[in-house]
Amino acid sequence: MSLLDPIGRRGRLAPWTAIPLALALVTFLGRWAGANAPTIGSIYLVAVLGLAAWGGWAVGATASLAAMLCFNYFFLPPTGTLTIAEPANWVALISFLIASTFASRLVATARREAEEAQRRRREVEILYELSFALFAVSQRPGVLGEAAARTLRAIGADSGALLLGDTGAPGEIASAVGERIEPEETALSETRESRRLVERGGLVYVPLEVGGALHGVLVARGTVAPRTVLEPAGRLLGLVVERERLLAEAAHLEAVRESDTLKTSLLRAVSHDLRTPLTTMRLEIESLERHLADQPQARASLHGLSLEQERLARRIDNLLSLARLEAGVARPHPEPVPPSSLFRAARESLALILDGRPVEALVDPRCPDLWTDPSLTLESLVNLLENAARATPPDRPIEIAAGPLSTGPDTEGVWIEVRDRGPGLPAGVRRLLESPRDPRRTAGSGDSASGGLGLRIAQELVQSNGGALALLDRAGGGTIARLTLPVAPEPEEIES
Amino acid sequence: MTRANPLILVVDDDPSIRQTLTRELSLAGYDAVSAADGLEGKALFEARQPDLVITDLAMPRADGHAVIAAVRRADATTPVVVLSVRGEEEDKVRALDLGADDYVTKPFSLRELLARVRTQLRRSGAGAAPEVLRFPGLEIDLARRAVTQDGREVRLTPTEFAILELLATHAGRPVTLRQIIAAVWKGAPATTTDTVRVHVGSLRRKLEPDPGNPRYIGTEPWVGYRFLAEPEGE
Repeated sequence: MSLLDPIGRRGRLAPWTAIPLALALVTFLGRWAGANAPTIGSIYLVAVLGLAAWGGWAVGATASLAAMLCFNYFFLPPTGTLTIAEPANWVALISFLIASTFASRLVATARREAEEAQRRRREVEILYELSFALFAVSQRPGVLGEAAARTLRAIGADSGALLLGDTGAPGEIASAVGERIEPEETALSETRESRRLVERGGLVYVPLEVGGALHGVLVARGTVAPRTVLEPAGRLLGLVVERERLLAEAAHLEAVRESDTLKTSLLRAVSHDLRTPLTTMRLEIESLERHLADQPQARASLHGLSLEQERLARRIDNLLSLARLEAGVARPHPEPVPPSSLFRAARESLALILDGRPVEALVDPRCPDLWTDPSLTLESLVNLLENAARATPPDRPIEIAAGPLSTGPDTEGVWIEVRDRGPGLPAGVRRLLESPRDPRRTAGSGDSASGGLGLRIAQELVQSNGGALALLDRAGGGTIARLTLPVAPEPEEIES
Repeated sequence: MTRANPLILVVDDDPSIRQTLTRELSLAGYDAVSAADGLEGKALFEARQPDLVITDLAMPRADGHAVIAAVRRADATTPVVVLSVRGEEEDKVRALDLGADDYVTKPFSLRELLARVRTQLRRSGAGAAPEVLRFPGLEIDLARRAVTQDGREVRLTPTEFAILELLATHAGRPVTLRQIIAAVWKGAPATTTDTVRVHVGSLRRKLEPDPGNPRYIGTEPWVGYRFLAEPEGE
C-alpha cells in the first residue's frame, strides 16, 4: 500500500483549465438571468473562492483578474468593451479585485494548513500502526527480522536491511528484506556518529536511537516518507531492539538466579553435613578429655585429636568460603571492623594451638577501623596466625600488629602484620603466592605441606575483600605476613 | 518453677548432637530433654516449661526461628541459645533480633556452650539489677549515672552512658545494633548503625586502656557488641 502519497500532486493542471470554464458558466448564467451588477459580482467572487480553494493562491489570483475582466466586459456599461463609463463602477470593479484576491489568498492558506494537518495525521497514524505492529511481536526467534520488515513496509520502502549494535560492519546484516542492498560503510559510520538520518546513493540510513543509546541502523531503499516519519520509526524499531535485548538479559538473569539458588542450597547442605559430625566429634573429644583426666598419655592423644579436629574444621570453613565466593552465592559483606576485634576473635579461634604461647597484639592508637567482611578476613588472619604458630618455637612470641598505611588523617588503608620467628620463608611458598591464580594449585600442590594451602586461601579471601597479602622477611629472622585492607568510611560525628 | 536442677530443652534435628548434648548437660548438673524439630520443640516447651532452650536454626518442619518466636510469645525471660553455622550470619542476627539471647557457632566446644548457659541462667535467675555494676577496674553507678575506672571518674555523654548501661547490664551476652537503636534512641527512624558505631567508638576511646586488647566492649561481627568483662562478686 502506498501510505505516503503526497496530497495535491495529482492533476495539478485541472484547476487552471477550470478557470475559463467556471467563468464562462457564471457569465452565461448571469446574462441569461439578467442579473444586476452587484449580484453578478458576488457570483464571480464565489467562483474565484472555489478555484482558489482547489488550486491554491496562484489559481485564485489569476481567476480574480480574469473574473474582473469578464465582469467589466459583460456587465458594466458600456458592455462589450473594457471601458467604464461611470466612476462608481470603477470603485465596484477595484473593490471586486481586492476582495477576490484577498479572499483567495485566505482560502488558499486555509487549504494548505488543512493539507498539512492531514499529512501529519497520516504520519501519526502510520507510526501508531507501526508501533502496534512492532510490539505485537515478541520473544520469538526472528522477531527482529519481522519488526524490521514491518517498519520497512510502513515507510513504503521496497527493500532494506537492519544492522544491529553501534559497531556492526555493512557485512553484518541482522535481517534483510526485498532485493539485496549494499550499505555504504562511510554512510553507516556517518549515521552512527551524527545519530542523524543520512541519504546516500538512493538509500536512507535511519539511526535506531533510544534514550541516547544507538541500537542499530535501518537502511531502506525506495521510501518517499519524510524525515518526520523516518526518524520516529527508527526510534520505535530501536525500542523493539532494546526490549528484545532486555528480555534476553532477564531470561539469562533468571537462569543465573535459579542456578544460584541451587548452588546455595547445595552448599548449605554440604556445610551442614560436614559441620554436624565435626561438632559431635568435638563434643565427644571434650567428654573423653574429662573422663580420662587422670591418664596423661590419653590426654596427650586427645589434645592432638582436638588440634586436628580444629584444623579440619578450619579447612572446611576455608573451602566452603572459597566455594561460596567462587559460586557467587556469597559476596563479601564489608562492615567497619576494629582490628582489635579481629585479633581477639583470631586468638579465640586458635585457643588450642596458641595455648600458653605468648601472642602480642599491637594496635596503633591512630589505626582506623577496617572496611572488610569480618568473617573472611578473620579466616585469613587465623590461617596466617596458624602458620606463624607452627613455624615459631613454642617459647618465642608471635606478634600481631595493625596500623594505618600513612600517618595523615586520611589514610587509604590499614596494614595488619603477623610476625613470627620461624625459619623464614621457603622459596616455594613465596612462589605459590606470586603465581597467577590457578584453582588446581589451591587444591593442594607439593607446597601445601608447608602451610601453602592455608596461605593461598588467606590470599584469595583477602583479595575478594579488596585487600592484598604479602610475605616479607623479618629482620632478625622469621617471616612477616602483611595484609593490607581498605579503611572504613568515617561516619559523620553526631553529638547527642 | 522450683526444680533441683535447671531443665534445659535441646532442639536439633541431628540425633548425634542431641544425644551428646543431653548427656553432657546431664553430666554438668542439668536436667535435659530434647526435640528433633521445631514443632516437637514448641510442644515440649509448653509441656515442660524448661529454664533454658538450646536450638538449632535450620530444621525440617518448624525451624529455630519458629521455636524462638514461640518461646517469646509464651514469656519474655526464658533464655534461648542458638546453635548457628558459619556463613549464615543473617540467620543468626535474625534469631537474636527475634529474641534469642546468645549463640555459639558450629563446631562449638562444650566449654563454650556451658559458659553461655551459665551466663544466661545466672541472668534469668537474678533479681532486680543492682544499682551499681562492678567489673574488674570499672564501676557503673546506674542511679548516679557515674562511671569510675580504676578510681578515676570517666565523663560520658548521656548517649554513651545509655549504650554502656545497656551493654553492661547484658554483660557476656551479644547485643544487636537494632537492639541498641531501640533501647538508646527508642527506635528513632533517623538513627543508623553508623550513628551507633560513632558513639561506641568514642566510648571505647574513653574506657579501653589498650586498643589492641579490648577489656570491655567487643565487636561481634554482623551482630553488634558484647560486653566482655565478667561482673564482680558473683
